[in-house]
Amino acid sequence: MLSLKNFWISKKISKFLNYTFLVFLIFNFNITKSFSNNLEKGEATIQQMIIEAKKHAIDTIKLEPSERSLKIELLIKKYINLDFMSKATTGTFWKKASEIQRKKYKAALLKQIVLNIEEHLNTLATLTYKPTKSERRGKKLIYVKGQIEDPNKKKASINLLWKLAANKNGSFLILDLEIEGISLVSSQKAEAVSVLRKNKGNFDILLNKMTRDN
Amino acid sequence: MTKKYKFLFIKCITAAFFLNGCSSSIKHVSENKDPFENMNRNVFQFNKYVDQKILSPISKTYVKRVPAKIRSGVSNHLQWMDTPNTIINSALQSDMENTILASVKFLLNGLTLGFYDLDKGETVIKKRDFGSTLARLNVSEGPFLMVPFIGPKTTRDLTGTILDRQNMANLSSNSIDDLNLAEIPINMIDKRSKMSKTIDNIYLSTDPYIKVRSFYLQNRRNEIYSKKYIENKNNNMDAEFEKLLD
Repeated sequence: MLSLKNFWISKKISKFLNYTFLVFLIFNFNITKSFSNNLEKGEATIQQMIIEAKKHAIDTIKLEPSERSLKIELLIKKYINLDFMSKATTGTFWKKASEIQRKKYKAALLKQIVLNIEEHLNTLATLTYKPTKSERRGKKLIYVKGQIEDPNKKKASINLLWKLAANKNGSFLILDLEIEGISLVSSQKAEAVSVLRKNKGNFDILLNKMTRDN
Repeated sequence: MTKKYKFLFIKCITAAFFLNGCSSSIKHVSENKDPFENMNRNVFQFNKYVDQKILSPISKTYVKRVPAKIRSGVSNHLQWMDTPNTIINSALQSDMENTILASVKFLLNGLTLGFYDLDKGETVIKKRDFGSTLARLNVSEGPFLMVPFIGPKTTRDLTGTILDRQNMANLSSNSIDDLNLAEIPINMIDKRSKMSKTIDNIYLSTDPYIKVRSFYLQNRRNEIYSKKYIENKNNNMDAEFEKLLD
């Protein structure tokens, strides 16, 4: 009798364990699938952006400079998280800025990015992009690594690292770009924070400097 | 010759330990130590003036007048001349793969005095200098410095550059040493012509001095520190980014 009871208990336990294992497997499979989906989405975002940038470089070459800048601006807005970049590049000073100052800073930052991209867009069109590796970081971030290569092998290849995160709509936006280990957000932050610190957090002085430079 | 090597070895070890004494570990590299900022800014202005008045026009003429093939040959030769430093420092850092690859490439390209890369860029050699060897010995990078005519350096890298120079002088004959000295300005023009766009962009930024410091320190740390450091840096940045995304 005792052995039968034992057998029943052990069977129940084994059934329970089997179900638990199955639930765990399904759960894990779904998580892994969603992670790999996110990685694919992140990679696809970068690939798409590179294709569009190259197309822009060719299509906009005969346009007026202001028209060209506008087109590039639209392209950048589509792929980067400007709100995040503005917050990340001003550190704790962001909280102290007024709504108008924040808007002006975002516009100035966007202009700087546009100018930088404009300068390198024609060169980019002659190079090829090769994705190398992507990985999930923490809860929200995705790293997409790639290389820019010269098809003629006259220039050394450049390592790129894109940091992305999904927005509310689920589409991935760029938070930062590292070129050969140099983070653009870190460099911009060093500059902006240095100006803000020197001027006791006065955002208007920083904005004046940025717009004068632009 | 043996005396020369002994002297060199003692100098390296002394410098490493002397600097190590006033230093700390890798944990402190994330800070941008710049206690001489005011002085550095003045030196930066001086360097900028020299660059804009002398170096930039010369490098522009160099690019305009000298054919790309010759420029590439000069650039290859300058890199080749610097390879012994990479060989020595790779060995000091016990990076045997890099030591062997650099040695083979040095000997192979020696057939053309380094003007032509017979390997056609297939072998990638990590550039190693005494600054990176000191970093391997856990010598802290020290304060950031802007050196007249040379540009941005950390105290450790400046020590490394001086010792590397001394090293080359000890290893080579007097005539080669004179040749090395003559190559300094050519090297400056070559580098300026390659980085022309970046440098011009830096001058246009909100605070060019801070931009140079940030670019230099990030690039240098990325070049010389281990994967562990880069992973650590990325983890810290990830945490900061996730916080901002919340």
